[in-house]
Formats: sequence, C-alpha cells, structure tokens
Amino acid sequence: MKKETTSIVKGVLLLFCLFLFQIGFSQNQLVVSGTIKDADGSPLPGANILVANSNLGTSSDFDGKYSLNNVPSNAILNISYVGFKTQDIAVNGRSIVDVVMELDESALEEVVVIGYQTIRKRDLTGAVSLIDPEMSNKIISNSLAESLQGLTSGVTVRNGGQPGQNAQIEIRGTSSFVNASPLYIIDGMIADANQTINNNDIDSIQILKDASAAAIYGSRAANGVIIITTKSGKKGPLKVSVSIDTGVQHIPKTWDLMNAREYADLQTISYTNSGLTPPPSVSSNFNPNIDTDWQDEILRTGNTMDVNVAASGGGDNNSYYVSGSHFENKGVLIGRSFTRSTLRLNSEFSRGRFTIGENILLSNSNTRQPLGSFDTGNPFFDMVGMLPVIPVRSDEYISELNPGGWGIGTFDAITYSKNQVAVTDILREKINYAKIVGNAFIKVNLFEGIDYKFNTGVEASFDFAKGIRRNGITQFNAAERPSFIVDNRSRFTSFLMEHTIEFNKTFNKHHLNGVVGISDQQTKRDFSLALRSDITELEDQIFTEINSTTGTSTSEGAITDDYRTFGYLGRINYDYDNKYYLTLTGRIDQDSRFSKDNRTGYFPSIAGSWRISNEDFFNVSWINDLKFNASYGELGIVTLGSFDWQGTINNNTRAILGDVPQVGSYQASLVNPDLRWENRQTQNYGMETSLFDSSFRLSLAYYNSLSKDALVTNLPIALYLGNLGGTPPVNAGSIRNSGFELEASYRQNQNDFKWNVGFNLTTIKNRVEKVGNQGEGIDYIQTGLTRSKVGQPLGQWYLLKTDGIFQNQAEIDSYSLNGTPIQPFAQPGDIKFIDVNGDGSITDEDRDFSGSTPWPTLQTGLQVGANYKGFDFSLQFVGIFGHELFNTVRRDLDSYQNTNFRSDINPWTPTNTNTNDPRIGVSTNDQGLVDNARFSSDRWLEDGSYIRLRNVQIGYNFDARFLNKVSMSGLRLYVSGQNLVTITDYSGLDPDIQGNGLLERGVDNGNWPSSRIFSVGLNVEF
Amino acid sequence: MKKLIIIIVCLTLVYSCQDELDITNPNEVTNESFWRNQADAIKGINSCYSTLHRGGFSRWQPMLYDLRSDVGASFSPDSQLANAFNNFIQPDSNFGPVVDVYFDNYVGIFRANQVIANVPLISMDENLKSRILGEAYFFRGMHYFHLASLWGNVVLELEPSKPGDLPPTSSEAEVWQQVINDLLEAASRLPVPYSDPLDKGRITKGGAKALLAKAYMQNKDYASAKSALDYFFLEEGKNVYALVDDYADNFRVTSEFNQESIIEWSYIENPTEGTDNDVDTANHNYGTSIGQFYAPPGIGWSDGEALRWVTQEFEKEKTISNQRDPRLPATFLYDYTNESGPYATQVYGQSWGQRYGTGNNRVFFRKFLHDHIRNFEGYRGINNYRFIRLADVMLMYAECLNAIGNTGEAYQYVNMVRERAGLADLSLGLSQPEFLTQLKHERLLELTGEGHRFNDLKRWGDLGPGLSNRDPAFNNFVVGKHELLPIPQRDLDINPNMTQNPGW
Repeated sequence: MKKETTSIVKGVLLLFCLFLFQIGFSQNQLVVSGTIKDADGSPLPGANILVANSNLGTSSDFDGKYSLNNVPSNAILNISYVGFKTQDIAVNGRSIVDVVMELDESALEEVVVIGYQTIRKRDLTGAVSLIDPEMSNKIISNSLAESLQGLTSGVTVRNGGQPGQNAQIEIRGTSSFVNASPLYIIDGMIADANQTINNNDIDSIQILKDASAAAIYGSRAANGVIIITTKSGKKGPLKVSVSIDTGVQHIPKTWDLMNAREYADLQTISYTNSGLTPPPSVSSNFNPNIDTDWQDEILRTGNTMDVNVAASGGGDNNSYYVSGSHFENKGVLIGRSFTRSTLRLNSEFSRGRFTIGENILLSNSNTRQPLGSFDTGNPFFDMVGMLPVIPVRSDEYISELNPGGWGIGTFDAITYSKNQVAVTDILREKINYAKIVGNAFIKVNLFEGIDYKFNTGVEASFDFAKGIRRNGITQFNAAERPSFIVDNRSRFTSFLMEHTIEFNKTFNKHHLNGVVGISDQQTKRDFSLALRSDITELEDQIFTEINSTTGTSTSEGAITDDYRTFGYLGRINYDYDNKYYLTLTGRIDQDSRFSKDNRTGYFPSIAGSWRISNEDFFNVSWINDLKFNASYGELGIVTLGSFDWQGTINNNTRAILGDVPQVGSYQASLVNPDLRWENRQTQNYGMETSLFDSSFRLSLAYYNSLSKDALVTNLPIALYLGNLGGTPPVNAGSIRNSGFELEASYRQNQNDFKWNVGFNLTTIKNRVEKVGNQGEGIDYIQTGLTRSKVGQPLGQWYLLKTDGIFQNQAEIDSYSLNGTPIQPFAQPGDIKFIDVNGDGSITDEDRDFSGSTPWPTLQTGLQVGANYKGFDFSLQFVGIFGHELFNTVRRDLDSYQNTNFRSDINPWTPTNTNTNDPRIGVSTNDQGLVDNARFSSDRWLEDGSYIRLRNVQIGYNFDARFLNKVSMSGLRLYVSGQNLVTITDYSGLDPDIQGNGLLERGVDNGNWPSSRIFSVGLNVEF
Repeated sequence: MKKLIIIIVCLTLVYSCQDELDITNPNEVTNESFWRNQADAIKGINSCYSTLHRGGFSRWQPMLYDLRSDVGASFSPDSQLANAFNNFIQPDSNFGPVVDVYFDNYVGIFRANQVIANVPLISMDENLKSRILGEAYFFRGMHYFHLASLWGNVVLELEPSKPGDLPPTSSEAEVWQQVINDLLEAASRLPVPYSDPLDKGRITKGGAKALLAKAYMQNKDYASAKSALDYFFLEEGKNVYALVDDYADNFRVTSEFNQESIIEWSYIENPTEGTDNDVDTANHNYGTSIGQFYAPPGIGWSDGEALRWVTQEFEKEKTISNQRDPRLPATFLYDYTNESGPYATQVYGQSWGQRYGTGNNRVFFRKFLHDHIRNFEGYRGINNYRFIRLADVMLMYAECLNAIGNTGEAYQYVNMVRERAGLADLSLGLSQPEFLTQLKHERLLELTGEGHRFNDLKRWGDLGPGLSNRDPAFNNFVVGKHELLPIPQRDLDINPNMTQNPGW
C-alpha cells in the first residue's frame, strides 16, 4: 500500500509541474488602481482582485489600495472578500476603479433540506442544526458520526478507535431502552451513513432535532434525522479537485505497568503475604532474559491516508459531479486495518418541464481483524493482564495443542489473559463490504408552483466475511478446537419509492409552500454461512478456501429481516410577511413488523415562529434578526426485528439418542404479540438572533421529549420461566429527556486577520417515567451495574458502597451488628463496604445508587478559526463533564490475581497505611481479598469528565497570482493534529467510551481509545 | 387544485398495498402451526433431551453435588468459583455458574411443560402419546428433583411459561411432592425397554422408578422408596439389569449403555460447534465439558478436585486376592493411581512424575474424564454420564431395607456390589445403625465422583462443621443455611411472591 501512496503523490506532483510550465500570454494595455472599502467606508485589506480569464491578480494592501498593470481596457475585475458578496466590475477603460463591497447576507438566505423539500434557513420553524462539512472533514474519521463530535448542540457522539468502527451518535438524549440511533437520509434515500460512505462527497449536513423538523419521516424519526446532501456540479467548465491527507496515529496513553523484575518482586510479596510459596516463575525459576512489555507487543504506530479526486461542472441544462476516493486506516493494534474505495456519480439533466437526475455511490471496503471466537479476547484487557515473565513465543511452549509455541500462562505463571500476538496469528478475518447507495428521480413542473417528483432509491450491501482459525491455543489451559475456514455472505437490500408533489405559492404577503406524498420502502437482509474444519497449511502457505479443508462441514442461512414500511406524508409551511410562520407536518405509516391490529401509526406535528425583528415596532439597530420558535409533535420508531411479534418454534435443540443427534423442536422464546411503535412526544422552544451586522449569532433552545411505549426488551425476565433466545419485549417504558441548548458564534471579517469562534453547549436531563410491570413494588430495571428507576435517569450506577480501608483489627471488630462482625472475612488492609440495608452482612442487597451518573451533565464544543493572508488556522475542542465511568480494566488489574500490576500500585501494609490500594495477596481461600475486588462496587467508578483538543489544523493557501500562473484555482497545504491533548482524571486509556449498550453506557469494557493522529495534506483545484 | 387531488387519489389507489404488509416468516414455523401431528410430538419431547447437554446441567450441576460435599474441593484460581462451589461462600446469589444450573433445570421444565400441555391435544398413536407424556413427566420430575435437592424452596411452574408469571415460592416439601407425582406418572407410562436402537438413551420405566426411589429417600420415606425399588428385584425390571464385570466399564466411552446403566445421559462429538447454547444454532455442542473443568493442570481447568482422605478409605480393605480395591484407580487420578507411584501413573500420555514431580498431593476425579481414550480434554466430552446405575440402586435398596427394619434382607445387595470389586462378603450381625455406617462406607467407595455424595450426606443428616476434619471447607458450613443454595436475586427482584432461603 505504501507504494501506491507514493505513486499517487508522484502523479500529483507531476501534474503540478506541468501546470507550472503553462505561461499565459499578456496583453499590455492599462494600469488600474483603486481602493476597496466596505459600506461604512472602512478600507478592506487583503481583498482579492482578479482579472477575469487571465492570470492577473493582486490583493489590496493595508489601506485597501491595489494596483494592477497590463489590464486590457475591456477587462472584467473579479473582486472577492470573505464575508462580502463577490463583485464583477467592467474596467471600461478606466484607470481608477474604486469598489464598495456589500456584506454578504447569503448566510441568512442559506437553504436547508428538511426532507422532501428545501426551504430558506431563516424560515425554519423547527430545530435544525447545520454542520459545515469543512469543519467535520477536518477530522480523520471512519464514519460521519465520528466527525460530528462537538460541532453542534444536542448531538452526543461517543467514539471507538478500531479501524472501520462506527461511532455512537444520539440526538437530544436517549429516549429508548433499545435503540437511540438517528435516521440517515442520503440524497433522499433512507440509508445508513456508516463507515462505507465517503465524507468528502458531502455538501451539507442537517440534523433535524425536533418533531416539527422530523415528523415528515414519521415512524422512523424519533431519534432525530441526519440529512446528508452530496455535492453536485456548478455551472461552468470542468473543475478538478484533488486532496491528499496522510497521517500517522498511535494510542495517546498506555497503562504504566511493571516490568518482569518489579512484577516478580510484588508477586513474591503477594504469595508470601498469603503464606504460600511463590511460583517458580517469580522465584527459583525467574528468567532475567524474559521481560515482555505486552502493550508494546500489541500496539504499534498506525497510519491513515485519504485521497480524493473529484471532477465537476455543468451547463445550462445539466450538471455533474464525479469523484473517486481511497481511505486507509492501519490500526494502532497489530492485525487490524480498514480500507475503503468509493466512486460517486451525481448528475442532473433538464429539458423544459422535466428534470432527471441521480446520485450514486459505489463503495468497497475491507476490514481485517482477528476472527471473533472463544479464544479471541479483548486486547485492552489482555495486554495488561498478561505477565511480563511470559515470552511472546518460545520453544518451551510447543505442544500438541500449541504448535506455534505461543507464550501463555502456565502452571507456575498463572494468567488467563490471552496472548494477543497469538490471537492475530491464529484467528484471522477479512470482511469485504461492497455497497451501492443512490437514488434517481424525475421531476415535472406540472403548473406554476407545483412540481411532481418520483424518487426511487436503493441501498444494497454485499458483505463477505472470511474467517480462518488455525491450529493452536491463545490461553492457559484452553481447550482444543479444530481449525476451520468459515465463509459468511450476507446481503442487505432496501428499495425506496416515493411520489411527492411540492407546491409553492405567494399571494401578497402570504407565502405558502409544502409537500404531500407517498413513500414505500422494502428492506431485506439475509445471510448464508458455510464452515468446514481442518485447514491445510504448507510451510509457506495457508490455504484459505473451503475446498482445501478436510473435516466436517456445517452451514446456516436465514432471512433475518424482511419488512415493508408504507406511508403518507405531508407538510404545509405558511408565513405572513416573513413575520408569522406556521408549519403543519404529518405522516401516517404502516409497518409489516407489527401484527395487523398494531400496524398503523399517526405522527402529526405543529410549529410556529414569530420574527419579531420584522415588526414595525421593533427598532433596535444592532439586532439584525430575532425570531422565536415553538413546536410540538409526535414521532415514532421501530425497535423490533421483522418477525418479533410472532412466536416461533425453535428447531435447534437436539436429542442425542442412539448416538445420533435427533431434531428437537419447541417454543424457546416467549413472545409478546402486542408490539407497537415507540412513540415520542416532543416539544421545542427556541430563539435565534443575529446581532451587530450579523457578526454575532446566538440561538437558544429548550426541548422536552417524552417517549411513550418505549420498548423494554431487557426486562430482567425471571429465570424460572426457562426462556431462551431473548427476552420478550414489551412496549411498557417511558423516558423523558429535557434540556437546554446554546449555540453562539462570532465572526470578525474586517481586517487582514480574520477570525471566528463558535461555541455550543448541551444539557440533557434524562428521567425514567415508567418501566412497565416489573412485579409488585418494583419500579426499576436492573441491568448489571446500573438500575433504571422511575424518577431517575436511565442506567444510574447501582453498586456496593465502599468506605476506605480497615486500618486495624479493632476497626473490623467494631464494624459489627449485635456483636457479629459485618465483614467476617476482612483483615486489616481490606476494603470496608457499607451495610446499606443494615442486616449485618454485605450482600448484593446492599447495592445502592452511587449518587453519580454515567450521563454527562454538560457537553460542550468550541471551534476557533482564523485567517491571516494565506494562512488559515483552526481548533476544535470537546468538553464533556459531570459523569462517572466504571473502569473494568483497572478492576482486573487491581484485583491482583493472575495479572500484571500497575507500576504505581501501593498496597496497604501495617506500615504503609496511607494508601487507597488494599492489601495484596492470593485470594484463593481468602474471601477478604475476593471481596476487595468485588465487581459491583463503587471502587471502580471514576470521574469521566474531560476536555479534549479534538483537532488543530494550520493551512496555507497559495495566492491567486501564483495559482493563475500554474493554471490552478486553489492550492492549500496543511498540517493537522487530532486528539492532541486530553485533560481528564480518568485513569483508563480514554474517557470517550462507547460503553456497554444504552443502559450501561459508562462501563469501560476495554473500549478502544481514539487515536492521536498527525497528518499532512494538500488540496488542489484546477 | 382539482387536478392535484385527482393525482393524489390515483397514486393512492395504485398503492393500496395492505396485503403486501403481510410478510411470512421464512425461517421458522410459528407456534400456531406446530403441535399438530405425531412428528411434532416427537420433536417436542426430543427438545427435553437436549437440555442434558446444556452447560449448566452437564458441567456445573455434577460439580455442585460433589464439590459441596466432603469428597470434593475447589482450588480454582477463580476464587469466586472456588468459594461458591466448595467453601460455602456465595455473597452474590446471581453468580453465573450456580445460576446456570438453576436456569437449565427451568429450561428443561419449560420444555417438558410444553409437551405436557400440547401433546394430549394431538390425534396420534395413543401408545406413543402416552410414552411421550411419560418422558415429559420424567423430565419435569427430574429437573424439580435437582431444584429440590439444591435450592429446596423454589417456584413450581407446571404450565408453559408466560412472560408475567409470578408464582409464589413453594416449600421444599411441596416441591418434593411434585417430583414424586411427576415420577409416578412417568413410571406408569414408560416402557421397560425400547426396541428401536435409535431410541437408545430414552428414559425407561426403570429410570423413573430409580429416581422416584431417590426422591422418597431424600424425604426419608424408605418404605415407599423400597416399594419403588422392588421393580428391580421383584418385578419387571428384575431381568433387565445386571452389574458389569469390570467396574471401570461404567466410566468408559467404550462401554456406554451397558447392562448396569439405568439412567444415562448421552454425549457425542460435534467437531464444528461454536456454542453450548442449544437454541442458538443446531450446530451446538452435543458433548459435555465437565472433563475440561475437572482435568488436572496442563490438561484442563482443574476447577474441582477430590480430597485425599477418600483414597485412604479405599486402602482400608484388600480384595480377597489381597489386591488393592480396583475401584480406587477407576475413581481417581493421583500420584498412586498406579500402585507403583508417580512415574508409573499415566496422566494423558505422560507420567504423573514427569508432569508434577513427586511431591504433588492433589487428587482428581477420574470418572468423567477421557484419559482412557485421548491425551486432551476440551469442551466436547463424549463420555456419557451414568446418572443412576444398578450398583447405586442395590445400595439404595439395602439402605431402605435396613431403614424399615429388614437389615437381614439388606446384606445380599451390598455383597453383590462388594463381590464385583473383589471384596469379601460382609459378616452378618450388624445392628441397624452399624449397618448404616457400613453402608455409608460402601456408597463412598462405589459412587464417589458420580454426583451423589451431597444428597447422601444430606439424607443421613451428616452435613455440618463436623465434616471439617475431612474437608476444611465445612468450617464455613452453617447448619440450617448451607444445605440449600441461595435463590438468585434476579428472580427475587422480579417476583415479590418469592422468598429467599433461610440464612441467605
């Protein structure tokens, strides 16, 4: 791959040189000079003045003055300045051309796509966030969601660092126990914007946050909608742009662990404390030549590369945009990588009343990673749990089960951590995703102001995962498993057909527009899997195809999804004199994923706005615009599989009779036939204003959404029901999310040094309203480490409470109930647990709310941009505050058993009492030590707040004069740094974790940290 | 506007697609379409047998019985496991391996309940129907037998489960009564033998009778137990079963379903499986992984092992030809499995001495292992578990006869077991309590490591700190508490009608 990169770079440089040799002809006629000023008469330094259709150009000096030689007398001057409207002025033989620049109000005229319609941004009545792809594309990311972190209010993004991993994204909180992911619309097609999409093709991103904005997508919009519009050609000659970004990445933080000598010393102490003989590996048999740094063995410097080439242009009746891209992410862990190549084709043609067009993405991605299995483990646990006294590989370990001689735990160096180097060698998987996403449409102008549109879309994905398991084991005492090759092919297809009629009428001061239509989407997913054991290996070749195997075959296949959603949709936007706005939106959906009685859902919404700044009585000169919005509506979401409401017979059980497996069938999973949509009732109140010549903008919003009929799937179903294969879901929950959003920005465009700053802030208050019938007197859902109780946020920490360390036997003895010690197994140096229920013993009954939450109370983002002459500079910060994380990796480390130790561990001893780390020892037959490491305890909670410098970028734009000489229209070089600084008290590798599902979102289960990436790049336009 | 409306109406008509929203599930039969014919009834009862190779049932359950008794211990590095399975310390009532046993028994009950509820409505061969129902009653009774033995006071689910079921806790006595009712029902319906070789492994009348007798005995109803066991000595079962000549054949892959076997759980290998969960995929583990968990270090996890004092019990008496009791090497793997010592004792292809030297005192249960056929264990054990065999039934019968005052009758059954091991007959004249003491010794030597010890001790009233000289773990044993395991908190959290066991 490296070679390819170099050749692409070479090619670009070659092109670059060719253009350098193209020297234009000059026609010497006039010397033109003048001053560039704004409407108030202030000079504008740094404005660009270009002579159209030539390579002449200059920029204004500090006083706004410029001068150009050799200007043809009939030339057109093209004058541009950021934040002002670009002007074309004919010289007409003049030698002095003074120019007054007009402020560009077009930002206010921006149009937004709100689903089946575009409207002016200023006419929005609902809550919509717009994200500038320029900002999001500064982030090197696998998927769109990852690049949105911190850029707008109301959007929560949680990242993972694995190549090809998708980020978790939630809009305005989590309103579901099951699914909080938003709906993506790509160019009108309902499709998933996952890691197979190329972010560089994106022209605009709009996030619909409230019911008014999202109700047009009715039954699927309850988690918010992200509308992505990809680029299209602009009228003009062929424009080619090339961008290349290449970077190196690593994990910013690793655990500070002991080396072999330090480990051996502490392990010796541990055994001695417990009155046991230390194992030979740390005593008699300690081998000073072995000192394995397992983090070092598994982590590496990865790299990223992103190359894009796009060509676009158009004429009076057509436009086109074609792009190709290649993205590579070689992961920071051995054996993991992701690559993606895409081709995009967007075009539009019109004739008379007819317009046709299409947007198509072809994408081919490959992920390499260890094959998931019993023997795979999680490297973020194993790299700290593995002992430094075990070599990566050694002949001593070679056995029938371990032909590779991989270093694993042994009888005298016990660890059950897996050798992750062995994992990457023995377990291999390559997944290919071939995908097409696109739509085509025909639009007919029926009458003045009325258009009919037929839109058809497709998303199809053909995935092929090939796994190879070689002979060998990765863990102490692991069982023998046969080698095998497994092929898993799956297909996903989704077809959309929509007929819409859009209307737009203006009479006097009344403006009316809207859309009505029908939408029909059919989605299907299936897979087939084939596996055969006993692979064939030669010394220099591993045969990878099933035909090369010699063992037993097995196969599986199913249609896992097959459903259809059919809907009627409509929206009316009305305003009077740009002052009073009203939007009515509604959708009726029918969905095959429910029984006949529950199949139809109604999703209405209403919104209004008042632009007070347009009132006659409103006369505040420094307020350019001021508008209030309010909306209410209902949305839905399906959180079910295609056939969940039907009870089915499971045919997988087998009776072993007569030494033959004989088919057994029965209903394994209980079902609830009465399943419905989850319903959200959403309110939004907002204020938007722009001040001081629109340089300062502020928007505020308060939202309050109540999810009703939330599907409760992980109802802790009683064990005595004997239910297998999933808990039957019930539409019984209710969750409220409310909060406050603020977005503010300031832009200073007047001087040579231009800068802007944007800030956003989000609060989310989450409250469980109902959990369904959990049994008499039970108003909560217990999920592992958390409890979701009515009146409290979802998934609050519910753990045993610790209270320091027992310093002496007297403290243990006095901690008693009626003379019986509460912790009878404790010794001095052990953790004290609080007997919450006062029954004189510590059991799970003593768990209680820990008084802390996995939910951030405040989420912020800050963006700073600046320009000086050709230089540009940008910063993105993310700040997340007020929540606690459960550090599972530290729990394993600090349990002291069968693991390496932290370098800074400071175990309690009678002479070392000023410490938070309890006594060390071997916990077999020592319940005191077992209790110290109890899992469900607040000992493992840590503050998860952090501030992160998400991205820094410094670029240089070559100036127009130089570029004209080389026939380029733009050239920018930049360097960029991602995740450079993180300020946090969290002791794990990264506080930005995805967590363990929605209800245990704060559990760091060996989360893959985000990489620190340094990259350089170049953008060229011709 | 009119035209617009017409267009909308037309498009709507084109799209009247109500019926197309009825999409049939192409993957699985729905409940409504099942339980219709004889084939469905057979598949239904077959699902009950599938529970036998689930992980909780096949692996953890025998370990709970043996390790929580005085013959077994756990020095597992997983100290939570060691504490729960050996040391009578289980602060977390939701601890996975223990809960797996509880749950798997209820999985089996759910399966049996579906057969019991649905099969009577199927029109099919009436004899076959009755037999299938007999099998289902057996499974329900057998699963409640384990729940009663281990947890005592549990809920009784006797209909196919519904999501909102909140039954109250039934007392231990009520649960035992259910066990007895179900097994009586089963015994009345099941055949003595099955003629089709493909039915080998199906439960027989003898199986139901033997387990019924165990249930009576746990409730000290020795008279009823005796009359259930009469089946093997005075009734139809008399000529069906016999002791095998070689004691070790009861624990070998090569001699499964021999004439001594009364209830035997059948395991075979599925080399490509990837899960123990028998509903996830048909390609699941058809074997048992207990060997992997019992095997000595370097071979398996060694999560459970035997205590050395038991080996000495075998040494107390020589055979009539002055040899060591042949049951000792069949029962344990330890440094003297071969009388000549560590370097003569073979452990999976190497000598004990090579593997562990000469100073290693550990003793491992051998009866479930595969060392007689291969040099590794793994999760796909194929060695059938002989749950109840004739030697056990003979000793049970002797115990019952002694208990109802018929000690003289009892000798012959003990002697048959002793003779097979090469030991001399017992000398007559033992008092009733002396005979019981002797019988305890006989059961220890004959049945150690087969999952009966905990119930034996419980029945004899021997559980308590008094056993701590044999097994120090019993220092933690609180009488009135540790006879039963804690009910999983998860169920108590959901069902307010349930109560925790005393002391927990």
